[in-house]
Amino acid sequence: MVKKFLLPIIVVMSWVIAEDAYERHCVPCHAPLPTSLQRMFMNYLLVYGGEHNFKAALKHYLRYPSKDISVMPDLFIDNFGIKEKSTLSDKELDEAIDIYWNKFKVFNKLK
Amino acid sequence: MLVLKNKVTSSLLKSEKKSLSRFLVLYTAMVILMIMLLSVFYYQSQEKLMLAQERAILSKYAYIQTKRLKVLHHFFDEKTTYPRDPRFRSAIYDNEFAKIFSLIEEKNIYFDREIYIAGNMIHFIETLDNYYLGARYLVIEVDNDTGWKTELWKRIFGYGSVIFIFFMLFGFYLAKLFLKPMRDSIVLLDRFIKDTTHELNAPLAAILANIEMMDMDVMAEKNKKRLARINIAAKTVSTLYQDLTYLTLEHERRNEDELVEIKPLLEDRIEYFNVWIQSKKLECLMDMEDVALVIDKRKVTRVIDNLISNAIKYNQRGGTIGIELREGMLVVWDTGIGIEKEKIPFMFDRYMRFDESEGGFGIGLSIVKKILDEYHISIEVESEIKKGTRIIIKW
Ligand code: HEC
Repeated sequence: MVKKFLLPIIVVMSWVIAEDAYERHCVPCHAPLPTSLQRMFMNYLLVYGGEHNFKAALKHYLRYPSKDISVMPDLFIDNFGIKEKSTLSDKELDEAIDIYWNKFKVFNKLK
Repeated sequence: MLVLKNKVTSSLLKSEKKSLSRFLVLYTAMVILMIMLLSVFYYQSQEKLMLAQERAILSKYAYIQTKRLKVLHHFFDEKTTYPRDPRFRSAIYDNEFAKIFSLIEEKNIYFDREIYIAGNMIHFIETLDNYYLGARYLVIEVDNDTGWKTELWKRIFGYGSVIFIFFMLFGFYLAKLFLKPMRDSIVLLDRFIKDTTHELNAPLAAILANIEMMDMDVMAEKNKKRLARINIAAKTVSTLYQDLTYLTLEHERRNEDELVEIKPLLEDRIEYFNVWIQSKKLECLMDMEDVALVIDKRKVTRVIDNLISNAIKYNQRGGTIGIELREGMLVVWDTGIGIEKEKIPFMFDRYMRFDESEGGFGIGLSIVKKILDEYHISIEVESEIKKGTRIIIKW
């Protein structure tokens, strides 16, 4: 009886704990999109460069997405539309963006 | 006349030498400074020229590297190997000057400049419009080929020394020009003295001879004193006359060196000045050994006469004159007014007098120096103001 409940609880719990803010808030919605989050990162980097610049710009975009300032090609926007305004708290958003940056940043990756 | 002028004035006086060397030091410093400044400007302009040439090549490299970065940016999920090129080294920095990747050796980078020399390298900074891999700055580095530098140094030294030599020659010419007025007045004085000297001889001889011939016994005490004064005055003038003739005529005569016994000569000269010594109530301390020297007698007499007459002239009443004669050394000292230390080096300059109240032309010591120099005999002066002077001659 107890075992019957325990397993799903553990699965859910571990899922909540293991997954970080980025995996929770960004990945699921991006998964169906044909352009990977890494590709998007590189597109974003091309325009916004350094770390502070990048993070501030992205945060602003997630809060106020718009076709005018998107780095994605028009064709992409026409097909998939502009994303919705993020309703995440400042803290969660910062955390997700930090993780995103650390995951894909170019530093220390070049050989 | 012309020959004489050249001979007398060809050597520089001490005071002239001093102002001349001061001028030359200042002038040389200025010339060196100027050449250095010119070199710096020249060096900088050449460096700029070299960099301008390098710039074309380096910006081509930067263009190539940018293209490669662009490719890498688009395939970054598959490829992470930074593009390398044997012709140059490069590095990328983001807009916060954080290093993304670097292959360059010289770590000091000036992002505000486009091209510069860093150590042994040349750096070229390219600002990217698209931040491929997040890079805002692309730094291209090549070795600085130092060939141009050695070539440049050679040229700077070459031209530098030519300019230096030219300016130094010009400086000497200038110095001569600037000494000329001084020179001219000396020549004028020489000529005047020479002309007047001729006229002095006969009357002086007559005065001295007649003083000797006077019958002192029948003379009143008062008159004896007067005669002594006349005698002193005549002898002073005679010494001066001897100096002047020496200066203008004698020194062109060839030396007649002989073995001269110095002690009797000194005694004789003291005797000659005795009336003067007595009148100033001077005490005369003589401490002499038998010393002989191979020298022109007339010249050594001029030296002794001048030293003794100075010792008398500048002494105070009731003072002391001392003469010490040893093998290889003669000292004449007095308890007179003394001379300031700073003025000692100029004592032997012609027409230099220190006490304007005393008469004379200031030529005595210059003759002494000239004669001693001729025989390579050294002269040293020790003096203390108001205490006295010691003149030491060593051979
Ligand atoms: C509700 C779905 C959704 C969520 C949640 C979401 N995204 Fe997106 N995101 C999109 C869509 C759709 C686009 C493409 C359209 C656009 O750019 O607006 C996009 C575009 C982007 C872009 C490209 C921006 C640009 O200028 O076009 C970045 C970067 C990005 N997302 C990062 C994130 C990050 C990081 C998170 C997590 C904090 C996140 N997204 C959360 C749907 C989402």
